[in-house]
Amino acid sequence: MHKTALFDIHESIGGKIVDFNGWALPIQFAGIIKEHSQTRANASLFDCSHMGEYTVKGIDAIEAFSKEIISDLSKIPVGRCRYGALLTESAGIIDDLITFRMAKDELYVVTNAGPLDIVTERLCANNPGMSNVSFETAKIDIQGPKARESALKAGFKDTEALKYFNALWTEWEGQRILMARTGYTGELGYELFMPNDLAKKVWSRFQEIDYVEPAGLGARDTLRTEVGYGLSGQDFNKDYTPLESNMQPFIDWDTDFVGKDALVAQRDSNTHDVLVPIQTSSRKSPRHGFDVFDGEQIVGQVTTGTFGPSVGFGIGFARVPQSLSSPGTELTVGPKKIDVEVSTIPFYADGTCRMKL
Amino acid sequence: MFPTDAKYTKDHEWIREEDGSYIVGITSFAAEQLGDITYVEVPEVGDEFSITNEVATVESVKAASDIYAPISGSIIEVNYALEDQPELVNENPFTGGWFFKMSASNVEELSALMDANSYESYVQEQDH
Repeated sequence: MHKTALFDIHESIGGKIVDFNGWALPIQFAGIIKEHSQTRANASLFDCSHMGEYTVKGIDAIEAFSKEIISDLSKIPVGRCRYGALLTESAGIIDDLITFRMAKDELYVVTNAGPLDIVTERLCANNPGMSNVSFETAKIDIQGPKARESALKAGFKDTEALKYFNALWTEWEGQRILMARTGYTGELGYELFMPNDLAKKVWSRFQEIDYVEPAGLGARDTLRTEVGYGLSGQDFNKDYTPLESNMQPFIDWDTDFVGKDALVAQRDSNTHDVLVPIQTSSRKSPRHGFDVFDGEQIVGQVTTGTFGPSVGFGIGFARVPQSLSSPGTELTVGPKKIDVEVSTIPFYADGTCRMKL
Repeated sequence: MFPTDAKYTKDHEWIREEDGSYIVGITSFAAEQLGDITYVEVPEVGDEFSITNEVATVESVKAASDIYAPISGSIIEVNYALEDQPELVNENPFTGGWFFKMSASNVEELSALMDANSYESYVQEQDH
């Protein structure tokens, strides 16, 4: 298994280490629910160094990259980020990603750990201006309503300037760190991208703050589900298209991208399944892989299912036919046929991510 | 390490005698394996079970698990506090996190269960 630059720290503070896509990472420290609540109330630190990062330099490299993904890069002014995806020719999702425009001729792209090799091959093999910097880069997320205070206390200066879904290069103790006001929790926060040898220093500075606690992958998963974010490899993969994965708003139809023809055809015939949020009315939870039933008939699958600690009921996503996708539709899931209702995202509506600073 | 006044099953339930009835819960080992417990489904008072029947369900953030009757008998009392506070199971698996109290229809069945020492060895094997 790969180890991140922070592995020693996680082990020393009692993190429960698991294998996540080939990386040794903590699933929890104090406990998933404690960490989840802590993130919504104060601020938590996440080690996300397993994720993929790429630089794209030069107009030609940007041009070549833009033809690969569903995002229209001309819609991204300097300083801004855009969510998108990389598809196969048949419009299956290889990975979702976020593109940051750091300068007119410079992009920074963030992807997931699972498909890293395939994504690298696809994007870098024929694009000399695009480089995989994943293994040199550590990523620390600070997320929670107190994230900005924490960042200031930890020595990060530019938080005032940073609007939601924007990114900039900042200087921290004389070194360059990419600070993005993005995240996976629905709370105010930053994703900090840095060279590996800075990670322990940055982490320790945040840990010194009394209301900041470490959080693991378990809490990361409950937090993201509560605000409606999908997980690459679980809610979607190359067997499903963006239209089947709740990505409609992010498909830039007026731009060119690999898989466009197939996706247009699917859009026009409009018989595809869709990914919907589901919830129970009790503490019972749906689970990944549960069959979805309409009466006795299996009509789909649960892709993500868990308990939402901030909302107090079971939540998740399921892929079902469009005819069963309206909010309020009653279905059952799993071997014990628990009752669920199609609902809307976010399940948790009080996230602070868009807070005006 | 595990309370000596209880006996244990291979499925990590504990059972403790109290005034002729038997209190049942899951062990700290099971609770730890499950992680933060989010939901507990308890049986109804009066329900009857044979040994190893499924008698309750426990869900955590990442998994669900069935609880089996350690002995045959019927349910006398249920810990309804677990409905709103399933975390009691993680906090006090051997005391406040008890699941139900039952009568024993065949007390002999208890002798087949593990004592604290045997359960301790059993758990050590599991961890490898």
